Amino acid sequence: MLFSEKTRTLDSILNADPVDSLFSDLLPTANNNLARHNFEVAPVKEATSFVKKWNNSCHENLKIKFNHGTTTLGFIYQGGVIVAVDSRATAGSYIASQTVKKVIEINPYLLGTMAGGAADCSFWERQLALQCRLHELRNKDRISVAAASKVLANMVYSYKGMGLSMGTMLAGWDKRGPGLYYVDNDGTRLKGKLFSVGSGSTYAYGVLDAEYDNELHDEAARELGRRAIYHAAHRDAMSGGFVSVYHVKEDGWEFVSRTDVAELHSIYKTDQFLPVS
Amino acid sequence: MDCLIGIKFNDFAIVAADMTNAHSIIVMKTDENKLYKLSNKLAMAISGEQGDTIQFAEYIAKNVQLYKMRNNYELSPKEASHFTRRILADNLRTRTPYHVNLLLAGYDNQDGPQLYYMDYLASVASVDYAAHGYGGYFSLSIMDRHYLPTMTREQGYDLLKKCVKEVHKRLIVNLPNFKVQVVDKDGVHDMPTITIDSLKNE
Amino acid sequence: MSLVQPEMRPHYPDYATAPTQHHFSPYADNGGSVVAIAGDDFVVIGADTRLSAGFSIYTRDQNKLFRLSDTTVLGCSGCWCDTLTLTRILTARMQMYQQEHNKVMTTPACAQMLSTMLYYKRFFPYYISNILVGLDNEGKGCVYSYDPIGHCEKATYRAGGSAGALLQPLLDNQIGLKNMQNVGDSKLSLERALAVLKDVFISAAERDIFTGDSILINVITKDGIQDYSFQLRKD
Repeated sequence: MLFSEKTRTLDSILNADPVDSLFSDLLPTANNNLARHNFEVAPVKEATSFVKKWNNSCHENLKIKFNHGTTTLGFIYQGGVIVAVDSRATAGSYIASQTVKKVIEINPYLLGTMAGGAADCSFWERQLALQCRLHELRNKDRISVAAASKVLANMVYSYKGMGLSMGTMLAGWDKRGPGLYYVDNDGTRLKGKLFSVGSGSTYAYGVLDAEYDNELHDEAARELGRRAIYHAAHRDAMSGGFVSVYHVKEDGWEFVSRTDVAELHSIYKTDQFLPVS
Repeated sequence: MDCLIGIKFNDFAIVAADMTNAHSIIVMKTDENKLYKLSNKLAMAISGEQGDTIQFAEYIAKNVQLYKMRNNYELSPKEASHFTRRILADNLRTRTPYHVNLLLAGYDNQDGPQLYYMDYLASVASVDYAAHGYGGYFSLSIMDRHYLPTMTREQGYDLLKKCVKEVHKRLIVNLPNFKVQVVDKDGVHDMPTITIDSLKNE
Repeated sequence: MSLVQPEMRPHYPDYATAPTQHHFSPYADNGGSVVAIAGDDFVVIGADTRLSAGFSIYTRDQNKLFRLSDTTVLGCSGCWCDTLTLTRILTARMQMYQQEHNKVMTTPACAQMLSTMLYYKRFFPYYISNILVGLDNEGKGCVYSYDPIGHCEKATYRAGGSAGALLQPLLDNQIGLKNMQNVGDSKLSLERALAVLKDVFISAAERDIFTGDSILINVITKDGIQDYSFQLRKD
């Protein structure tokens, strides 16, 4: 049967030998099984929800806090794909960092964004980068955005219900032209022209939906992405720091700008256009 | 929040699914396809838990195709419904059940059009018409009132439009677009998508 | 979505009590703070030496800095038992790498390995706040900080542990010179870094009950690692 991966994976996790698993990431794993990672779990009956319990507020004094909170966006237009993100990471009400890189450069033609659990996103997108490189070596051809997003979706789907937190967009350029996919921890995978993800996404959508146009020229599109993130960072307490903008074109992605939100605020206050660097 | 509607007539079956994908309070997209062609004369409409729907639908679709390749003939709609039910039931009492509701519309060369209603607990019923989701609360009575097994394809499509119109009018959730497919003796056919605009023009 | 709702279960008075459940609590918070500051050709890391649980102090003399190589040091605070486990495995992994490749693991490689090792405990995390420091391949000082499940970020200065939230703003002001107008790009000297490090720990001992007694400092330069200790309040 095509199916069975899911059950086998969970089984191997739940019955992992605790001694072996000290070096679990070193153990030989079946090479075609994407989902086989041999994670160590707690020796309790409800192993799959163990970590969720410790995130629960009833253990306030001993809470395991993970970095959370974000605004990210991506949209396809006539000139390619624009990806814009903020850079704040929060652990509860504490700002753990204002300088997180929320755009993950998977390869010169593929970008991933990061919302939700920072470690979940960076780990699984690094895992995805590995799979994309293997695809390239095996097939002498770059992986398509559609295939890459499916690989990621299938990987996280095999851990569904175990508390992963990940809302990501994959942006890239392949033979079909510009591509944009939304992938999240419940295994959703959506193709689209415009997405925004994270706690500030509603604010970003507000600005984006009002001014988005497929025929935007390059500088206006980049500015729209930047502005939408700025407004989300302004309204959403969990977003802020710096606004980073990337542009994906036929010959790969290009880093556009990284601007302090405080600086953007002083510029937008007087409603000037951000000077082209 | 999703809405699936299916109706069976003497010569064909028709299924419709909304095209909205929403996360919490945000509409992520309004052009998603929730109808899957399983084989030449079998279509499936699916709704439920995000992620489960696509994984389950693709798993069923691929295995129905695999069966055809191995045995050189297709599963009939009835057989496919039993296969689907079995997979759903087998997974129901595992750690990872599929939370999906679906409608199967097919055409059997011997028995004519078929419509199966199936929920996430893997209960199945062969019905004349059925609906999943809140849309059912509005559309089932419309089908009770107007359904005739002898309806033509146009009349069937109109009945479906009546249902969607009521969903638009009374359901608080925004479900603007419905994708429609007809299954008859010649196979699965796309019908024009029902949108707010297409209903307005009448 | 449970199939059997509790109220739907048959009611047998004699057997009505639920099975006894033993609470499994593998974590403790033993406190402690770590601060690291990197310069162009050096990096300093300091950790206090108090090990406590709740309101009692286990020891006033516990080293929380782990020398992984001649250019890499890890500072840990949080659950001490997890720290012991993690650092022992890390040392073993460093040795395995050394013997396999006949080469000492570089700081950036070590930083990535720590991230993956933490993530492989994603569903049963180590309750540790880690800060890894060292010299990168060009000899520049670098600081890597982690969340409990392995999110890694490279920085130039960082405070972590029980007084992390107290000290980071101080560092932002004194080292990062954040939100200040007309501040030059003056190069950070080792003397200044050490002075700030001591100052912030003095402040932490003043306001955090889990930080105090003394600090141990490691200074990493191309010439090797030097140890210093510095006394704090003992109350």
